[in-house]
Amino acid sequence: MDLLKFILKRLAQAIFVLFGLSIVIFVISRIVPGDPARMALGSRASDEAYAALRAEMHLEEPLARQYGYWIKGVFTGDLGNSITTKRAVSIDLRDFLPATLELVMMSAVFMVIFSILLGKVAARYRDKWPDALIRVLSYSGVAIPAFVMAILLLLLFGYKWEVIPVIGRLSSGFAAPARVTGMYVLDGILSGQIATAWNAFLHLLVPALALAAGGLFQEARIIRTAMTDNLTKDYINASKGYGVPNRLIMRKYLLKPSMIPAVSVMGLDIAALMANAFLVETIFTWPGISRYGMTAMLSKDLNAISAVILIFGMIFVLVNIAVDLIVAWLDPRIRLGGD
Amino acid sequence: MLKRKSWLLLLTLLTMLCLLLTACGGAEEPAQEQPAAEQPAAEQPSGATYQAQTDKTLRISQSDAPNIDPGVGSDYSSCMAYVNLYDTLVYPTLEGEMAPMLATEWTTSDDGLEWTFTLREDVKFHDGTPLTASDVIFSFNRIMTMGEGFGFLFNNYVATVEAPDDYTVKITLTKAFAPFLTILSRLYVLNEDLVMANLADGAYGEMKDYGKAYLSDHDAGSGAYMVKEMRKQDRMIATAFGDYWGEFTANAPQTIEIVGGTQTATIRTLMTNAELEISDQWQTEEAYQALDQLPDVDMTEMFVGSVLYAMMNTTKAPMDDVHVRKAIAYMLDYEMIVTRLFPGCMVAKSPVPYGLPGYTEDIPQYEYNMEKAAEELAQSKYADTIGDYEINVAWISEVPDEEKIALLIQSVGEELGLNVVVEKTPWLTHVENVAKQDTTPCISLTFVTADYNEAGSQLFLRFHSSTTGTWQQTEWLNDATLDAMIEDALVTLDRDARFQKYAEIQQYVADLCPCINVFNQAEKHAYYNFVGWPAAEAAAAGEPVSLVMGYNYMFKDFSIN
Repeated sequence: MDLLKFILKRLAQAIFVLFGLSIVIFVISRIVPGDPARMALGSRASDEAYAALRAEMHLEEPLARQYGYWIKGVFTGDLGNSITTKRAVSIDLRDFLPATLELVMMSAVFMVIFSILLGKVAARYRDKWPDALIRVLSYSGVAIPAFVMAILLLLLFGYKWEVIPVIGRLSSGFAAPARVTGMYVLDGILSGQIATAWNAFLHLLVPALALAAGGLFQEARIIRTAMTDNLTKDYINASKGYGVPNRLIMRKYLLKPSMIPAVSVMGLDIAALMANAFLVETIFTWPGISRYGMTAMLSKDLNAISAVILIFGMIFVLVNIAVDLIVAWLDPRIRLGGD
Repeated sequence: MLKRKSWLLLLTLLTMLCLLLTACGGAEEPAQEQPAAEQPAAEQPSGATYQAQTDKTLRISQSDAPNIDPGVGSDYSSCMAYVNLYDTLVYPTLEGEMAPMLATEWTTSDDGLEWTFTLREDVKFHDGTPLTASDVIFSFNRIMTMGEGFGFLFNNYVATVEAPDDYTVKITLTKAFAPFLTILSRLYVLNEDLVMANLADGAYGEMKDYGKAYLSDHDAGSGAYMVKEMRKQDRMIATAFGDYWGEFTANAPQTIEIVGGTQTATIRTLMTNAELEISDQWQTEEAYQALDQLPDVDMTEMFVGSVLYAMMNTTKAPMDDVHVRKAIAYMLDYEMIVTRLFPGCMVAKSPVPYGLPGYTEDIPQYEYNMEKAAEELAQSKYADTIGDYEINVAWISEVPDEEKIALLIQSVGEELGLNVVVEKTPWLTHVENVAKQDTTPCISLTFVTADYNEAGSQLFLRFHSSTTGTWQQTEWLNDATLDAMIEDALVTLDRDARFQKYAEIQQYVADLCPCINVFNQAEKHAYYNFVGWPAAEAAAAGEPVSLVMGYNYMFKDFSIN
């Protein structure tokens, strides 16, 4: 019951956050210089076409009324038309969002698995060479921007070694699998097109790694530090005194409480992946929503900008709620309201 | 302890060094100077067999995945798609002549106001239905009503389009327009029934959205290729149309892909892995040199009617003084630009692109001469105060090589006392800036290509007052004499007389000096030598290529050997 109340309270707060976000982004996108109708039609379009598009976009009306039209459309599923793709924004989101979600989910998997692995190894062999090596990699991984990492990995895996495909979501000769979720790996498995699913999975690896690298190493350091600190706690010493094997201590008694600070950061990093993915998507020609959003911003595609930012905001809020729940699960003191 | 710290420091330095070396890559060969328009020597084939040869697949990169609705797009990528998915009444040959396509013959009234076309009777759309005159009328009405893409070409001239019978189209113009036949290469004929069956809510009354939503992902054409899959933000995939009325060359590609994306690392990776057969034309010189090193990859350079202009805002001080403009025109070393900065390009001797019918070089030329530049400046009203004026030169950030010209203007301008500021400007910001006189930069560096295959196109586009406030004309000329000259030329039906008038206009513009014609762009592509590409072969032989955007990429005439 407490958990349910907690979730409902957070969701109610999220609605206010998203409402505020929608106003801010709506206003900013419309006051930034640039005529979206002229940009959409080109400089040679007829005056009639220009006037018709401005009327369609309600650009002649007061800002508040424009917001009213837009928010009404959000609740009815009509997000307007994109001036760059020339079709409904809702269709664009349907096509591009799963691509980015697939990429982000794989990045998240990399982040979680490898940060725990590297953090554990660094803590286990603290002050020895594995710890030093992981520390060097961590500094490099955090310092190198995602787009630089993307180009390095592209050149390494796609150019020098040519071991796995790196461009786009599928290789030439593979058609997209029958749509269920829009995520090619999952859809390929569900529709029995295993070869397609495998090809899509291979295409996913390098972009996901490029996107995950920065956060992965940062969290590895956090886990390492937390585990090292917790190693000196009394309950660990007591466990050792009782003869509990070291491996069990590391896995069961040490890892769980050490994950708490990392999970909070991990949640923020995973939520931020959606927005940070645009350069990685551009380099790997990944047709995702981040790249779509960036194109929309450069084209002043108002409907697309508003929709994309709203989606990012919703995901950010939901991920934060999920992080809070995970932290509560990890630390009973939080869910029991203790110190 | 000290030993451990030293070891850690050493390890850190070694890792950083490895990362730096990976990023830097191998040593590049120094740039080879080439005479303008000289074709690089083709390599001997390596003997390897590529997947594309087996599959008969042809992939080419472009700045974006194309917009496949022919009533909407007018960019390079989209034009490349249109010429393959759709047919037109006539099309431009590599030699610049207009050849029959859907139309087998045509007649014109003496006053040039009525054009009558007889259509082929064996053309089928991709859904198997026959193409008739009704579809041509529908296509006209659609593009003119929507007013987007190439609609502007027709809206100014076409009054009515009628079908006396199923295979005859009669077009009546509002006024005589001598190059009318050439603009028909931009009327792509759509399947009326298919579009009408797929209307969605829109702003065109009973025509709803005129099929825009449907045509953004599907084609309604009769062209040599049909869309198999339209992956937005990624690529268009099309396959050969089995019932095409025309001929494919032997070994013509069976599948074509126009891939959106020009990131250098991406393109180099794709070509190295033989996952791309032809590169786009937007790569840097350094990238082309690297691509040229790949086995079985050749380079082609062709002049396709694109000119780099340094457009000068004639309403903004000090550019409003013709002597200042001429001084800047004299201070650029054009030969150095086309040999060192843009090897393979050609000095522009006219505001009209080289090879466009109606082009002439017989006009005053501005050649590099600092003495003349100083003389011109001394005659201007800003002679003593020129340094007080900031001359901003805008270059487009999406075309990195333009910065070289901007920096050249700045460095040479300093010798004359000019205060030149270089501004890197994103394309859409530039389009916004030049919509108003006071925000238009003093000098804008932009590539402009003709809309149709005659000098009148470029002259109208670049200098008629109706195009002020567009990125194609940032000089803000508003010259009534020039307007009258251009309009008069465009209604002159006699070709020789019309071309004479074009020559007089080019002379007038040269004297006015509203812009610097920097160079004719050599459009470069890296491509695999198993691709038989008629335009590349023509360019290598010193023969003309099509100057109408997209028509060097009619893939049914290519071959995968």
